[in-house]
Amino acid sequence: MEEVKVGVFLSDCGGQIAKILDFEALTNFVKTVPGVTLVARGSEFWRGQGLQTIVDAVKTKKINRVVVAEAVPKISEVAVAKAVEAAGLNPHLVEVLDLKDHCAWPHRDTPKEATEKAKAMLLAAIEKAKLLEPIEKAEFPAVKSVLVIGGGIAGMQAAEDLADMGFQVYLVEKEPFLGGLAAKAVRFFPTDDCAICIQSPKDLAAVTQTSRKCVYRSGFSEIPNLNILTNAKIVKVEGSPGNFRVTVERKPRYVDEKKCVACDLCTIVCPVEVLDEYNAKLSKRKAIYINKPLVYPPAYVIDAKACKFHECAKCVEVCPTKAINLDQKTEQVTLNVGSIIVATGFREYDPSVIKEYHYGEYSDVVTHLELARMLDAFGPTGGVPIKPSDGQPAKRIVFVQCVGSRDRRWNPYCSSICCMISLKHATMIKEAFPDADVTICYIDIRTTGREHEYYYERARDMGVKFVKGRPSEIVHDPATNTLIVEVEDELLRRLLELEADLVVLATAMVPSEDAKELAQMLGIELDQDGFFKEYNAKLRPTETKRRGIFICGGAVFPKDAPTTSLHAHSAAVKAAKFLMNGKIVKDLKVAVVNQDYCGNCQFCPVTCPYGAITLEPKGDGHFAAKVSEILCEGCGVCVGTCPVGAIELRHLKPSQISAQIKALLSINGTSKPLVLAFSCSECGHAAVDSSGMAMMNYPANVRVLRVPCTGVIQVQHILEAFRAGAQGVMVVGCKPDGCHYEVGSQKAKQKVEMAKRLLQAYGIEPERLEMFNLVFIEGDKFAEAAKTMTEKVEKLGPLQLA
Amino acid sequence: MTEEKPLDFTREITSRLGGETITHCYQCGTCASTCPVARTTERYNPRQLIRLALLGQRDEVLKGDTIWLCASCYNCQERCPQKVEVADVIYALRNMAIREGNVPAIYMEFATGLMSEGRLAPISKFLEKKRTEYGLPPLKPANVEALKIILAATGFDKIMFKKEGASP
Repeated sequence: MEEVKVGVFLSDCGGQIAKILDFEALTNFVKTVPGVTLVARGSEFWRGQGLQTIVDAVKTKKINRVVVAEAVPKISEVAVAKAVEAAGLNPHLVEVLDLKDHCAWPHRDTPKEATEKAKAMLLAAIEKAKLLEPIEKAEFPAVKSVLVIGGGIAGMQAAEDLADMGFQVYLVEKEPFLGGLAAKAVRFFPTDDCAICIQSPKDLAAVTQTSRKCVYRSGFSEIPNLNILTNAKIVKVEGSPGNFRVTVERKPRYVDEKKCVACDLCTIVCPVEVLDEYNAKLSKRKAIYINKPLVYPPAYVIDAKACKFHECAKCVEVCPTKAINLDQKTEQVTLNVGSIIVATGFREYDPSVIKEYHYGEYSDVVTHLELARMLDAFGPTGGVPIKPSDGQPAKRIVFVQCVGSRDRRWNPYCSSICCMISLKHATMIKEAFPDADVTICYIDIRTTGREHEYYYERARDMGVKFVKGRPSEIVHDPATNTLIVEVEDELLRRLLELEADLVVLATAMVPSEDAKELAQMLGIELDQDGFFKEYNAKLRPTETKRRGIFICGGAVFPKDAPTTSLHAHSAAVKAAKFLMNGKIVKDLKVAVVNQDYCGNCQFCPVTCPYGAITLEPKGDGHFAAKVSEILCEGCGVCVGTCPVGAIELRHLKPSQISAQIKALLSINGTSKPLVLAFSCSECGHAAVDSSGMAMMNYPANVRVLRVPCTGVIQVQHILEAFRAGAQGVMVVGCKPDGCHYEVGSQKAKQKVEMAKRLLQAYGIEPERLEMFNLVFIEGDKFAEAAKTMTEKVEKLGPLQLA
Repeated sequence: MTEEKPLDFTREITSRLGGETITHCYQCGTCASTCPVARTTERYNPRQLIRLALLGQRDEVLKGDTIWLCASCYNCQERCPQKVEVADVIYALRNMAIREGNVPAIYMEFATGLMSEGRLAPISKFLEKKRTEYGLPPLKPANVEALKIILAATGFDKIMFKKEGASP
């Protein structure tokens, strides 16, 4: 192994921090540390001439470990790493520390103490640097093709974007026709245009004259690279990001899409009639059918549950293009894709569980989707809202909001779009039938989107009545076949009995039935309400914690059409960005397992937030953990969890942690007892940064040791700190539910609790150890915690270790 | 009428058995429209009662008569979409009212009867006649002494009769 030569570069930030820290003393101190062959002082090292100094030192002085004391450590780290890499040194042999915000500023009132602390910080960085090892880059091949699951608005938009960008796209839809929920919704708010209208692909816009068309004439099916698989579902997902193998099961359609000319002869001869689910069972259709009038693919399908097949086969006889094949079988297709987009949408909740509304019992109580079918001019009632019980037009219509949503008994969340759906349907009815008596019973009307409030205004202008109050019961009067809605008008404080021909329930929107199964297959999470969970709601709303798998549209939460489109385009961009280079390049800052030590306990596979660890047979009848290099995010939660120390991070080895603990606590220089703060690299370290940036004061006896995530901390690290001279230990991590690695902060808390019990058993006061959950804007709280901890430890007196 | 800071009164209610769920209320009115009492009298509206409580109108809630009008049918509690245990909240409010000495006369009569005869309703001639008609045996006097020990252990006697001169 080549000799370690450390170069130390001390920035005094344009002379600013030299007014506090004694740079001459620091330089002299650093020179005495074994392994250091070069010390340079300058005003900044992360750019310009300063950075060139580092590059020159690497090139000419053969420096092979670089320690930089610089403000803005994150930016400096990146800049210095890039520069040394260009100079031929592995970029991971760089250690950056911040003498300004972590030392000079917070301890400016005690410059001597600050200088002593700076020595300890430099020593820790040098000792760690000496132990750093090169980390190489790995390349994983990525197939430039994408699977989109779900053929509603979200799926179609994402598929179109990606196909336009040149990716091979597979769009899988479980129903025989594209369109999803939207295909049944007639019109959309706030544009009031047809629900079935979509954006035409860019290459075909010229051919189709305008850029927007009904799905079936948009040219959607003609997009090069786009393969549409209807009547299909995902049954198996294997492989890893960039290279998934997905098995898709296609149910037989019995009609060849390429031959069918949609002439309707087959439905004329078909003798089997069943209730049409597409039309909310308000009309009948044949066993061979097409959802009329606008669908893709424009080809019939046979309902296998209803068809008599060879007993009848009349359709086969009349079909002029011989498109029908009654012997078609279910087939499986295996797709090789680099990325997967989940766009499975949402569905209406079945409100029959809410007994007081008698849905399913009184046929004149319907849901919005059922009403939408009535309001479709091509629908079963030709656009007239009727009483399903007797087929008569409904003149008095009452809408009930928040049915099964905002209800802790069923779905506690607000479904977000039902207010607008009610306003849309109420105005559609008023427009067509101005004499209709339309009342909306609401708890709150929520019109938060662009132009939504105008919709509400228009409904009031048109004479829609609004009653603030949630009905407690719907009663049926058999004598008049009328429904009576019992509700308190809260603003009048009067009990009302509203007579209605038709009651429309604005039911909750819930995840699709197969969401759970699909999430399991894909290895991604659902939220508490059963919707697909994003990686981070604020910043990564289409990503999941599994690389290469994205989510969008109503599968994530109920959405209106504009928001669904936005979300779908975002997912498409993310998938494209992931695959555009045809390979995934990543620094191997990952966990590695020492197979000889691994005790096959299963702790780490279960704990890993990314599903990156599996148990593999060792060949001797035992198993050992194995880390997937592509899935591992390098957080180290597994390291903190392993009971035998069989896993370590390549970018933070146990020896490096120990060396830093010892170094940070080897020099005190203050009159106060030493306190060591382990902080995560994310929010915890940001809080330490911000306390310094904002010139908060805390005593110099508090030393900070940065780890990737507090989840990496083991009980033994804490004990080691006490043994090395710490009188108190702080663990500073992200908020428990805001951990950048999901569970790290919670795991650290458990470790702290466990260590406290151990300390007690050893006769050491457990309050010498505390966990803090801080974020960037809580720098003041870090300073406060550092002060309080110091005072507490001072009060407890010196720690006596046997 | 004294007005308390709303949260103080709310916390007092949520810290009592049965009162925990009052803060869930979002004033949808399901309770009011399902309430059989509200149907017969404008004096009682469970939604409004909860609203007054959440706004800290302590005196109006605890000194008024509305909390005593609830018939405990539990319709509201069954149907509340926010799982507010409306009827139980009202019991909690009644308990608070009693502790402050706001007991309606009829409840005081019940309590007095319980302490003196071991029964909420006294054994009347009418009742005995009816029992004979139905072939039921005559009622035996209750073991008042034993009951008094139990009620003393629960603190019932002190809570009910803490007002001067109210003791039986």
